[in-house]
Amino acid sequence: MKHNITLRIGPATFRIGSAWPQPIAQLAQLYAAYPDVRGAVADFTVRLQPTNLLRRVLRPSIFITGDHGLADAAPMSLAHGLLAAEMGMNLQMALGWRRHLLLHASSVEKDGRVLVMTGESGSGKSTLSALLGERGWRFMGDEFALLDCDSGAILPFPRLVSLKNRAIDVVADAVGEARMGPLLNATAKGDIRHMVPRSDAVARMDQGGMPALLLFPRFGHAADVRTLGQGEIFMRLTQASTNYVALGEPAFTGLTRFVRQVPARAIDFASGEEAFAMVDRLWEELA
Amino acid sequence: MPDLDATTAYRRDAADAVTACILDDLTLFYHHRSGQTHMVISPVPEIMERMADGASVTAQVMHDRLARDYDLGPQEEAIAEITAHLDALVALGLVRLA
Repeated sequence: MKHNITLRIGPATFRIGSAWPQPIAQLAQLYAAYPDVRGAVADFTVRLQPTNLLRRVLRPSIFITGDHGLADAAPMSLAHGLLAAEMGMNLQMALGWRRHLLLHASSVEKDGRVLVMTGESGSGKSTLSALLGERGWRFMGDEFALLDCDSGAILPFPRLVSLKNRAIDVVADAVGEARMGPLLNATAKGDIRHMVPRSDAVARMDQGGMPALLLFPRFGHAADVRTLGQGEIFMRLTQASTNYVALGEPAFTGLTRFVRQVPARAIDFASGEEAFAMVDRLWEELA
Repeated sequence: MPDLDATTAYRRDAADAVTACILDDLTLFYHHRSGQTHMVISPVPEIMERMADGASVTAQVMHDRLARDYDLGPQEEAIAEITAHLDALVALGLVRLA
């Protein structure tokens, strides 16, 4: 395509092509600290193309596609091109990655051991991982945690952190404007702004760690900590995985080992401070 | 002419092999042939275990095998329940009709 960039995030390399220059320029700026992989063979191709020929110039409308695509993906406005590129990369991972069990989870690391947090959109897992990454933890990823089914390790996938609505100001205050991307107003998921992970998270993006604690965070509820049965944990993790079925028996072996070995809690919290205190205490007690 | 005395028999074939994993009070079966993971609770693991030898069993035989280790209550109700479980296992492809 006319404009393109190749990016490597953790073990995955993406070639992103676009009919317009803006999304590629924004990616180049925000991913400037990531390895230069120009000319590398990409695992996945993402294409941002006009929904039809006219729509390249007239009310430009992006259709996200690539090696893997969704036929009924809604077109997006060019102003949200950066988000379209990020969604395109997520889509390739979710539909095409086979080297690890993909968990829809955020993760952070301390002393070589990993805290994994999983939950639905709006649970606070993304924001929590971004903020913990500024508080002595190494940020590993806000969207996908990659479980190596052979070794049991969690591998990083530290792409840009996608922050929504209220989380934007909280994180911008913590990290400073220099690491924040443009504000994307009124997307299908509300307002979105991307945050660039700290340089150590990018520099160490090939280093995994063994999982030591699994949390199911839930933002916006009175403080509470609950235990969960292993069966429920297993079920929630299969629901949080996009490729559990595709990977077959290695995924069964890897995930059941994870569930049996990693202590887990569901945590509810009403503020960031409450969440940090809970995470510190549970890490101290269980990990 | 239909055999009015016919009783359904069930068996597990080597091709129906599963890998089991116990998580608290729940058992997972990874079914190699289909790649499906089944989550089951008692008495399904106990029934599957008592078919591991591959021999054909009727619901009555299964009842007798289970009754050696468990108090199953009234026989008629227990056999009806065991039959329902065996039929469900056939539907899942974990057990086949003998």
